[in-house]
Amino acid sequence: MILLPNDALGRLQSGCKTIGDRCNSLGISSWEIVASQSYGHQIDIEGGKISLAAGGGEGGYGIRIIEQGKFGYAYLADINSADKAITSALSIARMSPSIDGFVLPSEQQAEQVGGLYDRSIVEMDSESLLTQADLIISEVKSLDDRAVVTGGGIGVSASANAILTSQGIESGGLTTSHGVGVQVSIEENGQLTSSWQSSSSRSKLAEIPGCVARAVDWAQLTRDPIKVDSSEDESSVLMTSEGFSPLFSVVVPNAVKGEKLARSESFWSGKMNDSVVSSDLNLIDDATVEACRSSGARDGEGIPTRKNTLIESGKLLGSLWSTRDAAQQIAEGRIIDAASTGSAIRSGYQSPPISGCSNLFLTTDSKTHDFDSMLELMGDGYVVNSVMGAHTANPTSGDFSVTTSSILRVENGEIIGSVKQAGLSGNMAKALADKVILGDEVRPQGSYSSGTMYVPNVLLGQALRVNPV
Amino acid sequence: MVMAKSPDFEVQGTGSRYLDVDKINKSLDKVTDNGATYAEVRLVAYTDYSVSMRDGQLERAIPGQEIGATIRVLADGAWGVHSTTDIASLEQQMNPTLNLARSVAARRSSKDRAISLAEVPIIEDSIHWKPKKDVRNTELSERLEHMRLFNSVASGHDKIVSVNCGWHDEHIHTEFLSTEGMNRTWSFQRSLINGMVTARDGSDVVSYRTRFGGEGGLELIESCDVDELGDNAKVSALRLLKAKRAPSGKMPLIADRDLTGVYIHEALGHPCEADLVAAGDSCLDGKLGEKIGSDIVTVIDDPNIRGGYGAHPIDDEGLDTTEKCLIKNGILTEYLNHRETAEHFGIKPNAGARAQDGLHHPLVRMSNTIIHGGTHADLDELVEDIDYGVYACGSRGGQVDTGRGSFQFAAQEAWLIENGEITSPLKDVSVSGLTLEILKNVDGLTKDSRLAAPGFCGKGQTVPVGDGGPIMRISEALVG
Repeated sequence: MILLPNDALGRLQSGCKTIGDRCNSLGISSWEIVASQSYGHQIDIEGGKISLAAGGGEGGYGIRIIEQGKFGYAYLADINSADKAITSALSIARMSPSIDGFVLPSEQQAEQVGGLYDRSIVEMDSESLLTQADLIISEVKSLDDRAVVTGGGIGVSASANAILTSQGIESGGLTTSHGVGVQVSIEENGQLTSSWQSSSSRSKLAEIPGCVARAVDWAQLTRDPIKVDSSEDESSVLMTSEGFSPLFSVVVPNAVKGEKLARSESFWSGKMNDSVVSSDLNLIDDATVEACRSSGARDGEGIPTRKNTLIESGKLLGSLWSTRDAAQQIAEGRIIDAASTGSAIRSGYQSPPISGCSNLFLTTDSKTHDFDSMLELMGDGYVVNSVMGAHTANPTSGDFSVTTSSILRVENGEIIGSVKQAGLSGNMAKALADKVILGDEVRPQGSYSSGTMYVPNVLLGQALRVNPV
Repeated sequence: MVMAKSPDFEVQGTGSRYLDVDKINKSLDKVTDNGATYAEVRLVAYTDYSVSMRDGQLERAIPGQEIGATIRVLADGAWGVHSTTDIASLEQQMNPTLNLARSVAARRSSKDRAISLAEVPIIEDSIHWKPKKDVRNTELSERLEHMRLFNSVASGHDKIVSVNCGWHDEHIHTEFLSTEGMNRTWSFQRSLINGMVTARDGSDVVSYRTRFGGEGGLELIESCDVDELGDNAKVSALRLLKAKRAPSGKMPLIADRDLTGVYIHEALGHPCEADLVAAGDSCLDGKLGEKIGSDIVTVIDDPNIRGGYGAHPIDDEGLDTTEKCLIKNGILTEYLNHRETAEHFGIKPNAGARAQDGLHHPLVRMSNTIIHGGTHADLDELVEDIDYGVYACGSRGGQVDTGRGSFQFAAQEAWLIENGEITSPLKDVSVSGLTLEILKNVDGLTKDSRLAAPGFCGKGQTVPVGDGGPIMRISEALVG
């Protein structure tokens, strides 16, 4: 049995047309219907064994109605209740403030983006996932017979997505994903160490993805902590892609949203065309890159996606906009000019589009380095591979204060041992404005729908405070 | 096609059902005949309404309906699960789900324990926690009225650059049928109002978040002093502009009710979840009956605290919810469990199973977690003998590594304590530590214990939770 029915997209588009026709018949001239259906298989692993196999699917429709610059939104799971949802969205629109110049976007030709759908994922069944789970459990054991996969699992999904608007946008497509996440623990002599690592892709992953060995490595590396000076210290920190991305993703995407910049709610507000980070750093949001996790030909409101250069050689040059946010900030007089950058995102059919990032790339004009070279360049400092509490970082100020139990002490360019636990605090804007060296390997992290961080290992200068225990 | 085919929400009263009980029971009988040890169908229908307002203007209002159902089949000691929004397809998915369970069972090695479930009372009934004011009958204009009040109080200062206010209410209706003959329906509501105030002074920009809500209908929001909520958020945001960076290191810490709740949720609640204990991922494995905290620490988790954001009448395995005493006078007395882990540990089931919605299977989760009060009269009494420490308030969330027993939580704002007095405001305070060390360092609790602001807990699935307690003093904590 294949994961996604052959007619899934066609039926979804037909549903959009039915709802669109109902809008027309109710005299509504400006509407947008989005729909999605997802099907998936999932295997959970707990305590070193497969704990359950699951499957299923979900789907629904979202309706956005615009009337004289006002918008209303409603969503539904049962197409038979479309009239009720349309009426509800319309009544909300009539209670909403009008935004001068806010209209639904018109159709523009979009270039297809490849690598988002892999037929071999659709053909995967629960048996093949169970086999992969067994292989991963065995691989962990073979890498270290003390190691156990205490949590995690494997999942595949296939989704059909469609959009239809009164302004002539009619588009749909299929995407797939395959993900593996493992929590590997080693308990011996009363000491427990663990590491969570994950990989995911739009195409089929290797049977044993690299994250499995990395999880075992870090569970081993953090054993037998050494004593270090427990006084707080501003120190160089080499944050791995896995350690840095969660913090980066809480703070930076928020700071480059056009409306946040316009409203003075970003720490980079008022700094357009100024240097805001180290002079060799670039920040690019690009949904057009083939096979990237948050790529797509069109954004959440049907506008063709594009490459948006946000920071170039340290200077803030761009920001991310959806149609409504751009119109609103102009109408409210905060900015003179703005337009959609193809950056509308949705967290499913349940939500209207908002501005957000897709694939966010942090790159450098300078030479990148492998891990060992970065250790040499750092000399003395710490390596941090994961942090607890990244979500508690303050996206408005960029301040963070987190904890790590996955930290190594480095002296004279060499790892001398692990540290039991440490506090790590600083400010993201200041940390990126200081001396920053990037690694040469990127392991994407983050969610498909709210943006994927393509951030390599990052060596931060003296802007972080480390407080080891 | 996974789209719901179900009754209209508007005609859904407390007596009507989404599931065709006869048909589902027949398919449950059939899956038993085909070899299932146990099977259940749990359907959850949500009617919800989200509103957001920015600077007094309606930003978006989203009414929604969601229906999902999950089949769980236990066969040969293993689980198969199927979740769908297509309610009409449930009967035909029963056997494929049985086959999934058998596929998992076939891969179990001889040393792996087969899953079995603790016995529970079989109940057929309907329980509806009816709110005083059904939130589904609330007009958008009424929701906006409360939100505008927040906005008007929280704005109006040249350094306040924006005021956001949010609203979310939901009616949750669940139906549960099992091969054991369980046939239960229950419903309740949750209502929530929240706000975020952003302040700026030159290049310094800060924000402060606040929340009020819980289990209940519109009456809950009407009981909220929105004026006070807005004013406190405004004052706190402005104070944060002047706050200094927190000191770092080990020192005495006093936590307000919000932080006490987050602390006990992260540091103790999660490691007490029996599914994590069984998976070898809890620092409390094997410690039942052991002293793990100071004498004054008594902690309960209780889904029956009406009005708490984690309140619910029946757990997602169909069991009547009950109070769990996790720690009594410092001694670990009970894990939170579900039927599988109760059987695994040979203990009584205590109805700790919760699922995010109808499309997720139940995990062991907290509900309303709270530390009992102590003997100190008030904050002043806790502060008076501290030479140098931190008083931290309001939660920005937390996280725990249950296996290692290390945790972290962050405060929204804080103050320095110097020579027994609360002095200058601080920002970006986080606290971290080890569960098995820091519970022993709790050396002061005020008398008045109650739930604090509502929260959300993530464990692969997100569920609403309540937590709180008294004001708490920890003799030594790692402040960052």
